[in-house]
Amino acid sequence: MTTKEAPPVLRTAAHKRRLKAPGTRNFSKPVRYLMLAALVLFSGFPLYWMLNTALSQDSELYGQAQGWWPHWERLADLGDVIGSVPIFKWLTNSMVIAGGTTLLSLIFAVLAGYALSRFKFHGKGAAGFLLFATQMLPEALLVVPIYALFASLGLLNGMGGLILANVAFTMPVSVWIIKGAIDAIPYEIEEAAAVDGCPRVTILSLVLTPLILPSIAAAAVINFFDGWNEFLLAKTFIAERDLWPASVGLASFIGQYLTSLNSVMAAALLFTLPALVFFLLVQRRIVSGLTAGSVKG
Amino acid sequence: MTLRTSISPPAVAPTQILDAPSKHHMWQRISPYIYIGPAVIYLIIFMIIPVVQGIQLSFTKTPLVRPDGGTGVGLENYSRLLSSPQFYNSLGATILYTAATVIFAVAIGAGSALLLNQAFKGRTIVRAIITLPWAVPTVATALIFSWIFNRSDGVLNEVVGVLGVGQQGWLVDPKYGMAAVVLTSVWKVMPLVMLVVLASLQSIPSELYEATRMDGAGALETFKAVTWPHIAPTVRVVTLLMTIWSIRRFEIIYLLTGGGPVDSTNTLVVNVYRQAFSNQELGRAAAIGALGLVLSLLVTVVYFMMERRNAAKEA
Repeated sequence: MTTKEAPPVLRTAAHKRRLKAPGTRNFSKPVRYLMLAALVLFSGFPLYWMLNTALSQDSELYGQAQGWWPHWERLADLGDVIGSVPIFKWLTNSMVIAGGTTLLSLIFAVLAGYALSRFKFHGKGAAGFLLFATQMLPEALLVVPIYALFASLGLLNGMGGLILANVAFTMPVSVWIIKGAIDAIPYEIEEAAAVDGCPRVTILSLVLTPLILPSIAAAAVINFFDGWNEFLLAKTFIAERDLWPASVGLASFIGQYLTSLNSVMAAALLFTLPALVFFLLVQRRIVSGLTAGSVKG
Repeated sequence: MTLRTSISPPAVAPTQILDAPSKHHMWQRISPYIYIGPAVIYLIIFMIIPVVQGIQLSFTKTPLVRPDGGTGVGLENYSRLLSSPQFYNSLGATILYTAATVIFAVAIGAGSALLLNQAFKGRTIVRAIITLPWAVPTVATALIFSWIFNRSDGVLNEVVGVLGVGQQGWLVDPKYGMAAVVLTSVWKVMPLVMLVVLASLQSIPSELYEATRMDGAGALETFKAVTWPHIAPTVRVVTLLMTIWSIRRFEIIYLLTGGGPVDSTNTLVVNVYRQAFSNQELGRAAAIGALGLVLSLLVTVVYFMMERRNAAKEA
């Protein structure tokens, strides 16, 4: 419902005019800049501090005050700094888990989104409700029974089991994103193909999928970073240190200061950067996708 | 359809002509289930069955080491929970955490959206900086904030030290634990509110503003007459989402305080995890989880009732 009212903003003259419309000025200028500065400080400082800590000297982290400016010259030794944390192994695991989650989730989502968008069938409402309601279930409630289920199936302590569990949490949102995208494609395109005798599977994979590629990409990014960030299931299911994703690995350093903090922060930065870059690339789609998924019941 | 095919008189390749559409029709009827089936079956296996099992588990005493070897204890888990002050403390922590996080995240997020809906130099960069925290992985968020809040070497103590306040244990002092966790959560989730409200603001037709300006309305009146009615549904939805997500938020709290200090941030989900994996009591953990689920459902029901009332009022 929100997304219907919020079409992607076009960079047109009308848009610029709208921004300057007098009615939108709710605050006087100095107050506005003061508030903006406070916001930027609030949101930006912790990220800056992460960088600053990653690039700090060992000596200034403990005991004496940490400097306010990053030691850029430390960028050169960053390799050694990170070497004290098995971060590349963990990042590789994260990549496998996130990639597997994305692939599996998207296969289910494209099929289900197509069904919800293009067919009328008995139980459609129930299926939609299932996809909506499961988004509300707390992971922490499910983690215990899923743990019990996986223990009996021998799926603990492996990335495969973790992927299976992740998909259950990421797939519903993807289904809504894909359904929304297919809804927006005029049906006539498929009709033309159907008249030519194309079977539905072919229409879906060769005609529709290329048309909704941007939405699939957005869903893929959301899935990938859900898998990339996921912590609770991974921590519960995987005990072996070598199989940990980066989220669990990095979390193991919180509150223990045996490993120097600048190494940990540098590793955390490596873990964070891909998420930031991708997010900035597809930000607008992610937001409309998430709200579409959560709102349409 | 098939019946008609069998009794139709043989003409020129009749079965082919008549059979084809009927087969096609059957196919038409089952094919939606082929597309939706995998997703539905998957969710039933990995979501619905675990929820049902979780609820069953809550009526048993089950040790962690033997998850399938529980003994039924009826309502004992629930009656013990409902008579233990620790549970009410946990419920209270959940409500306090949720209320504080939602209020601050929605207020700051919507406020930022209003600020960012105005044209000024560097708007794109400012928006990017304010949005970034949402993309920072939770574990990295917890890592950086636990360092900022660190008792002996954290930068927050450095800053308050300048103001003449002594070192505080932000994460270990029961006075501050909840505030620290809420602050971190607001930092992380506020951008989503901002982005969603901003999208809604940008969809307000400029003609509406021009019309109110013609009527000579001031900034506040314009806000009340045009802006707020337009964004109110969005703000309500985002508030609902923030509430549900806050009730179930685990990582930030667990990683920063582990439910402490002195259980002051021991929300229901953190409690579930500690009961299950520290105390190794799966049954009691499941009971807490089930009660947490009831809380989420309650919030959703209240929201839909309010929406219905609003819709009725508008009609």
